[in-house]
Amino acid sequence: METIVSIIFSGVFNASTLFLVAAGLQVVFGVQKVFNLACGSFYALGAYFGIVVVKSFVAGGFPKPLFIVPLIGAGLLLGFIGPIVERGLIKFVYDRDETFQLLLTFALVMMIEDVIKFIWGTSPQTTGGIDLIYGRINLFGATLPVYNLIVILCSLIIAALIGYILLNTKFGRIIRATADKKEMGEALGINMKMVYIKVFTLGTVLGTLGGALVIPATAVVSEMGVELIVLAFAVVVIGGLGSMKGAFIGALIVGVLKSVAISTYPELEMLTIYIIVIAVLVIKPQGLFGGSKV
Amino acid sequence: MKPWQEILSLKSTKVLILIVVGLLFLGLPLFASQYVSYLMLTFFAYAVMVLGLNLLFGYTGLLSFGHAFFMAIGAYTAAFLTGKFSILYMEVILVVAVIISSILAALIGAICVRYIKIYFAMLTLAFGMLFYTFLLKFYYLTGGDEGMRVLRPYLLGFNLSEIPKMQYLTRSYYIYTLVILAILTFVMWKIVSSPFGLCLKAIRDNPEKAEYLGVSVKRYRWYAFIISGAYAAIGGALLAPAIGQVDPGLTYWTHSGTLVFMTLLGGFENFFGPLIGGVVYIFLQDKVMSLTTYWRFIFGAILAFLVIVAPGGIAGVISSLVKKEKGGE
Amino acid sequence: MVILSASDLRKYYGEFCALDGVSFKINEGEFVSIIGPNGAGKTTLINVLTGLLTPNTGKVFYKDKEITGIGPEKLSKLGVARSFQLVNIFPNFTVLEFLMVAVVSRLGKGTNFYSSLLRDQKVTSEALEVAMLFGLVGKRDVLTKNLPQGDKKMLDVASAFALHPEVILLDEPTSGVSTSDKNKIMETLVSASKKIGIKSIIQVEHDMDIVFSFSDRIIALHQGKILSDSAPGEIEKNEEVVCTVLGQKECFKIFSALMHEHTGKGGKA
Repeated sequence: METIVSIIFSGVFNASTLFLVAAGLQVVFGVQKVFNLACGSFYALGAYFGIVVVKSFVAGGFPKPLFIVPLIGAGLLLGFIGPIVERGLIKFVYDRDETFQLLLTFALVMMIEDVIKFIWGTSPQTTGGIDLIYGRINLFGATLPVYNLIVILCSLIIAALIGYILLNTKFGRIIRATADKKEMGEALGINMKMVYIKVFTLGTVLGTLGGALVIPATAVVSEMGVELIVLAFAVVVIGGLGSMKGAFIGALIVGVLKSVAISTYPELEMLTIYIIVIAVLVIKPQGLFGGSKV
Repeated sequence: MKPWQEILSLKSTKVLILIVVGLLFLGLPLFASQYVSYLMLTFFAYAVMVLGLNLLFGYTGLLSFGHAFFMAIGAYTAAFLTGKFSILYMEVILVVAVIISSILAALIGAICVRYIKIYFAMLTLAFGMLFYTFLLKFYYLTGGDEGMRVLRPYLLGFNLSEIPKMQYLTRSYYIYTLVILAILTFVMWKIVSSPFGLCLKAIRDNPEKAEYLGVSVKRYRWYAFIISGAYAAIGGALLAPAIGQVDPGLTYWTHSGTLVFMTLLGGFENFFGPLIGGVVYIFLQDKVMSLTTYWRFIFGAILAFLVIVAPGGIAGVISSLVKKEKGGE
Repeated sequence: MVILSASDLRKYYGEFCALDGVSFKINEGEFVSIIGPNGAGKTTLINVLTGLLTPNTGKVFYKDKEITGIGPEKLSKLGVARSFQLVNIFPNFTVLEFLMVAVVSRLGKGTNFYSSLLRDQKVTSEALEVAMLFGLVGKRDVLTKNLPQGDKKMLDVASAFALHPEVILLDEPTSGVSTSDKNKIMETLVSASKKIGIKSIIQVEHDMDIVFSFSDRIIALHQGKILSDSAPGEIEKNEEVVCTVLGQKECFKIFSALMHEHTGKGGKA
């Protein structure tokens, strides 16, 4: 029981950041139809920047337990990359073949990887276990770090927020309309340029925030972004491309599966995930929630 | 009849250029440094892979983001046969690589060719990564992230273990690989200019219409996938003795991206484009890497530039310049 | 002899019923036109007949063989070909290469991996033959994306003919072409089909002059149902029905077409 709880808990924790990145992938794919391989790179950027901010926050003599505030701020702040990348690169390929869009985001992956190496070097970095400041609690007999609970909570709040925005705001309606039909937005006289910038920025922020939130509980390595994109891809394939609900469920499946595999057969960790991805693509190529829009 | 003569003479000029380039490559080790010859050798191996990749990408319209999978199959075949089974005949290695990769490509292809565009790209990526984790985790078999050593193979039955390593690589093995590349280039040329090649191009341009004209779209994509996988495996098997050590990084998805990069750089719309891309990529990478450790940033920028401004690659730019010149006359 | 038949075809797109119990038989040697206002289900019908779409209920037969939802590739091998309403081409192909695709697949040469296409006399000459029938020989080496609109359309049709089918379905073969050219195109089609040995032609067409002067039979669709199915001469009996289907403008056209017929100017091909 105790181990089952901690396995599931760590799976849900995996899922919570995975969901953020996958949601960023989905929203951009839904509106712009661009599959952004660089979403994992945004995640890595968020992680590295998060470390810098937390360290200087602590060095500045601010109360340690409040570190989560500047951490979230760091994730949000990095959103400024969104408009730059969108206006500087992505906007040129909207009416091009999907394969070229994919290649452009691959170019972005290469560039961001080196930007990270240039700024932060190649050695792994941590926040020095600052997450343990919140201590641990006992739940169903298992001892769980409180910080991880907070991250799960943050992720749930963001999920609810996204759901609210999509369903109840004008911006959300525009997103859903354009996801249905690209011409729709233009036909309604909406400034699509602004919509594209906003959506891409939203996608970026979700990635950077995911990276920032995860970092106190783990170490950063320069390949983390490249590795995450493969996981995020697994999530959206299982959940269904373009579906937010799919990203949520897919993230849970992948996250829990990953932690189950790690604690039982570590050799099979990623293997199981890829096999499930392939199985889903073969049996139900549109994913579990494909067809339902964003 | 005049246009025919023109075409004929045009064809013979092209053949002449090819022969000259071939002879230049052949004679290169005589006047170039060993290092340059070595880089050229790796290019020959990559050239075989991108020839195969472009049958899928340029001719059939399918972007594989997991093609490094098949090259790794070829490379690990070489490592296993030489290291674990003491089979050192290069010809045997190549044949086994072709057999294994064709079987795997037939199985994987049967699944992948049901999808196109992003789904195809991502599914191939997933298979590549599946193999990557397999290589990494089953270390008692594959050596894990350290990989495996590749012993020096016999060429045409000759044991060349007495020759110094660089001399072996830049002379005997160099010529051996070049000849195989020449043969495989010729075979690929025949394939793309066959009725089958025409059907592939039809599928690329408009699969729906092709189907109405009686072309079995999925079956032909499957054939292309298998041929392409076998080419990549041959390239991988040729590369393995040249680098002397194989590791899981060969099948990582960014390495698949490198193959696509080469193809795009040279020009996927042109038969020889990927080969041009391969040679430019390898020498450019060598140059840029010697100048800065941040070569990926520069290459990323080049790729972005290519995608946005010159999707036809080097060959595309050249042919549009030639056209302009002709138009100006 | 019946060559193509449909029984009780129904096709739904969600709530919308595009075909609502369509049945008919096409005989060998017939030229049948399908008419009806936009949204009547004409293109859906063609798509169902050619196996691109599977109907919710009902069956399609070619001779004695059921071909419901069989898919385009198998259909073309059986001897049924079609052309498209919107231009459907291989943009980067020359005219000759385009036609070669059809010839290669008809001759079963698609899996020739290693023979040279250019040296294949049979494929080249048969492709040229079809190009000749449709007046495209002069443009044999032009890239299809650089062709004028009318020629693109012709090429699409020509490639279907190059399959040497027994039945051909043409979805608005003359749309987007000037009225003066329409008759010429139709005459080309009819004479080409005779030379190739096509037994029956089914076409969707809006131009009533064309419909009345070339068809043996006219099937009028409205809201997914067959309103009338008769020879052009008999359409007077259904005139009222047809007029409600086609609206005032077309109604006037039919009258004028009928007038032509009565004064002996029209006539079947």
